[in-house]
Amino acid sequence: MARGADCSGGRSGLNAELQEPVIEVDGLRKRYGDVVAVDGIGFAVRRGEIFGLLGPNGAGKTTTVEILEGLRKPDAGTVRVLGIDAARAPERIKERIGVQLQTVSLYPFLTVTEVLDLFRSFYRHSMPTAWLLEAVELGERRDAQTRHLSGGQRQRLSVALALVNDPELVFLDEPTTGMDPQARRSLWSLVQRLREQGTTVLLTTHYMEEAEQLCDRVAVMDHGHVLELGTVDELVSRRFRERAVHFETLPELDLRELGDLAGVKRAVVEDGQTVLYTADVGATIGALLARTEALGLEPRNLGIRRATLEDVFLDLTGHALRE
Amino acid sequence: MNALLTLTIANIRSFTRDRTALFWTFAFPVIFVLLFGAIFSGGGSTRYAVGWVDQDGTAASAELRQAFAQITLLRLHDGSLAASLDAMRQGNLQAVVVVPHGYGAAIARSAQVIAGRTSGAAAPGGSPAPGASATPGGGAVHAGLVAPSLAPAAVELQVYTDPSQQSSSATIRQIVSQVVSSLDLALTGRPPALGVSDRTLQSQRLTNAAFLVPGILGMALMQLGVFAAVPLVAQREKLILKRLNATPLPRWTLVGSNVVLRLLIGLVQTVLLLGIGSVVFGVTVLGAPWLMALVVILGALTFTSIGYVVASFARTEESANGIVQVVQFPMMFLSGVFFPIEIMPAVLRPVAAVLPLTYLGDALRQVMVGGSAYAPLPLDLGILAAWLVVCLGIAARFFRWE
Repeated sequence: MARGADCSGGRSGLNAELQEPVIEVDGLRKRYGDVVAVDGIGFAVRRGEIFGLLGPNGAGKTTTVEILEGLRKPDAGTVRVLGIDAARAPERIKERIGVQLQTVSLYPFLTVTEVLDLFRSFYRHSMPTAWLLEAVELGERRDAQTRHLSGGQRQRLSVALALVNDPELVFLDEPTTGMDPQARRSLWSLVQRLREQGTTVLLTTHYMEEAEQLCDRVAVMDHGHVLELGTVDELVSRRFRERAVHFETLPELDLRELGDLAGVKRAVVEDGQTVLYTADVGATIGALLARTEALGLEPRNLGIRRATLEDVFLDLTGHALRE
Repeated sequence: MNALLTLTIANIRSFTRDRTALFWTFAFPVIFVLLFGAIFSGGGSTRYAVGWVDQDGTAASAELRQAFAQITLLRLHDGSLAASLDAMRQGNLQAVVVVPHGYGAAIARSAQVIAGRTSGAAAPGGSPAPGASATPGGGAVHAGLVAPSLAPAAVELQVYTDPSQQSSSATIRQIVSQVVSSLDLALTGRPPALGVSDRTLQSQRLTNAAFLVPGILGMALMQLGVFAAVPLVAQREKLILKRLNATPLPRWTLVGSNVVLRLLIGLVQTVLLLGIGSVVFGVTVLGAPWLMALVVILGALTFTSIGYVVASFARTEESANGIVQVVQFPMMFLSGVFFPIEIMPAVLRPVAAVLPLTYLGDALRQVMVGGSAYAPLPLDLGILAAWLVVCLGIAARFFRWE
């Protein structure tokens, strides 16, 4: 994208601005009636990074993002986006950010090109329609009315709309939901291209793989709290120096008993899988097989893997990310 | 400004590509005008077929027939009494007039009496008024042609009408009475002191169509405005409004483009209905075009603001549709669109008095066809403006973008 250094508001002290966080959230709270959606969270997003809010549905990701976008007012806390107070002056932010909302169906009777041109007219500065079509690979569907698009195509159009104004900061809320694996990969490469061009991206997702592939840093959210924050590697190694031994759950085996096996730090059952986190894979597998043999059983689909974000999440919250 | 233009174009495209919306917006009022116009104005012709039974067969009765034949509203069909009544039973005639035997003789006698009296002394005032005696329910009406002073000479025209056809029966009876009265006066030789001359502002087919066309134009503008709620709520439900709210697009631009669309649709509807009114029913706009435009625009704005009020309280597209029906249906039938408020039951008249469509219809009727006023024009416009202001206030307070 063709954005020069002088486009960042014409302010002096470019270096200072580059170091200043693009997003600063502190003590943010938001409730809807009796439901506390966001319960005092804080984090900062650096310029040029891809920052992920990871968590299950209802964790408070979307509420957080919509407050950052200036669409909702926080109940408490401070939110600064591009140095601007998002609660006080959302209008000043909107020109400079790109927004993709979770559910989208836009003007069903307009064509892809017409919707893009419509949104381009809302901004003082905008990218050419051809570039946008190419970026999300919708060139072939340019003249299709949006009601005839598939779910994934609609999602890509919605991402294109977030890029219309060549934004400094892009919010992508569950951008790959409903996409097939191929479309998902092509969107990931688009997001990586955005980072190369210096655009900051904040995305929410409940796909572990997406966060692992894309995000420089991740904040793990659940029930309105940020549980952990850091790079994917940091998060994994901070909790798990150990590996995970997993197999199909055997009802005869007691979880507590498994936790006492050699080397096992923690044992959990999730989705029909028993996972043993262990510092000594060999000892744990030996002990496990000895135990099952004594019972006349055989663990099926036994495997070993490195701990992932999924494990981090499981460990932090006690439940899986996808429910 | 650019955004207002592109958004308006986007709205127009969305609207014209949605065939269902298009049909309901334009075809519905047109069908209404054609349908109700045809029903109420009897196919555009208001001539009555009347059987003429001459049992007298004199020069005087022929003269009487001549007098009736001159009345353009009547089309006379000669025949025997039995045949005419038969035709009436079959619905081919709306009334039958019978000139009884002895009519000519009675007229001749009364002429002599009058001649004698005028040569004698001045003793007027004693002559009984010529009258039409009606016996409702009996199926037959006797219009009495009573020769003055000397009662024995009186002779009665018999008029058979159908009590189930109230309005045409009444009209025919009235016409017969009028002809008889004027003949009576001519016979007595007194010049009429008081006369009535019929005047209408439009063509002869004015009556019902002239009432209907402005009414249905008002109804169309009402629906166009109130129904604005439905796409608005749909856009909110589909988060289109929320998405737009995440752009720098000012809200007034969004509202403005929707209002511009409504006004454009209102303009097309007005042209369409005025065209049909003029071509099919001969109803043309008498008032100043600028005044007409003012009333149409104010009406469209007022009802669009009511649409925004509905959109403020409806959560889903379906509930918006339901509320719109609840709002528009009573207005359609209680605001004098299809029939004058004066003939509505007394309990419903206060309802009509508060409905904004009453005043839009009244204003359009006054401006378009110079119809009799329900309220003075400035009051009509004032009440519409008041509705507009109140609804804007409510919408500004309660409308939600998501």
